[in-house]
Amino acid sequence: MHPLDKIANQKWFAPASAILLLLGWLWIGMTAALPGATTTGKIPAPQAGFLAPEFSLPASQGGAVSLADFRGHPVIINIWASWCGPCRAEMPALQKIYEQFADQGLVILAVNATAQDTETAALAFARDLGLTFPILLDRDGVVSRLYENRALPSTFFVGADGVITEVIIGGPMAVALLFTRVQSLLERPQ
Amino acid sequence: MFPILQIGSLAIPLPGLILLLGLWVGLEISERGARRINVRPDDLYNLVFTAFLGGIVGGRVAYIVRFAEGFMASPASVFSLNPGLLYPAGGLAVAFFAAFIFTQRKKLSWLTMLDGLAPLFAVFLTALAVANLASGDGFGQASDLPWAMELWGARRHPSQVYEIAAGLIVLAVVWPRVYSFGQPPAGVRFAQAAALAGLSRLILEAFRGDSATLPNGWRIAQIAAWLVLGASLWGWRALQKNGTPVNPGKIEGKRSL
Repeated sequence: MHPLDKIANQKWFAPASAILLLLGWLWIGMTAALPGATTTGKIPAPQAGFLAPEFSLPASQGGAVSLADFRGHPVIINIWASWCGPCRAEMPALQKIYEQFADQGLVILAVNATAQDTETAALAFARDLGLTFPILLDRDGVVSRLYENRALPSTFFVGADGVITEVIIGGPMAVALLFTRVQSLLERPQ
Repeated sequence: MFPILQIGSLAIPLPGLILLLGLWVGLEISERGARRINVRPDDLYNLVFTAFLGGIVGGRVAYIVRFAEGFMASPASVFSLNPGLLYPAGGLAVAFFAAFIFTQRKKLSWLTMLDGLAPLFAVFLTALAVANLASGDGFGQASDLPWAMELWGARRHPSQVYEIAAGLIVLAVVWPRVYSFGQPPAGVRFAQAAALAGLSRLILEAFRGDSATLPNGWRIAQIAAWLVLGASLWGWRALQKNGTPVNPGKIEGKRSL
């Protein structure tokens, strides 16, 4: 018989188990999360539960757009390139969702990874698809670095409080996925 | 963190790959030990496959039922490959139900099958922690300990590394027993693995920085782990004293479904 199997037959097994459970319960109380210990929303980082890192980029329509301008609105940040197949495939879904929810305050910031793309190709693609949300040009790759972008497309769902609720790496995202995520962003308490 | 494996123009999400690898390795080890407890490796493989398939289909159907409006706008999304369109609770319920039906139809003992799956359970726990290390999920609380690691804007407990170590400990207990002929009564081997896993989670959740908590700050995962620990200790003792003995055997069989 394996030594582990002999343990449960010992007289001390039941009292030892009870003591272990009591100690476990005390451990739960002792290690309860202090306020702020697990709420990471104050630190900027490209991860769910953290504050979306701030950026400001030139928009294709002219002028500069800052993420901070949209505090109080749910925001989808989509990092893309015109040569990336999944990025191209999911753009119509993003446009459809934008048309459906823009009047409820949804903001979509399509950050073109211009450092890995050409501005002409990106703008032609946006024009062909009739995209109406802002196309931001990340010419120096600042946002790609800030958001630790390793694959295209990468999508960050940001609540009205500025906290990232979910990160989706890769694509294409389905309309239903975007629909449910936007709904939960809109229902999220500020 | 290393969430993406780039092979040429192909970007593979590494965490998903690690989990699949964990499933495969765990199943291989489980199958090798199955004969020792008189379980056909085919049955073990088919049980996992049925539960996996049930989990995927059930998870998608539950998601469609819960968020029907989103699919009415785009019926094609029903067949989307996005794993984000799975409802975990629904998937888990259907997976268990599918596994239950499978064992009933095949007249298999639940407890013996759980024993057979104990190595898979241990390997998957470890793989989950490795996947979290790759993706940066399951991160630790801020800490100034010398072995703290820089992650998400702060030095943090390497909670994923702690959990890998815990998974390996569970595996170190479970794995050698796969090849042992002196098997305990049915269900004991799984109860032991579950007790160890519950205890490790109870301890290590305290170092996590992403715990879901109750209003008083108690971590929900710790309470769940405490319940698992209690139930598995009770089950271990009860089964060891009164359980059905396992007849060691050697069953030959080819994998098929």
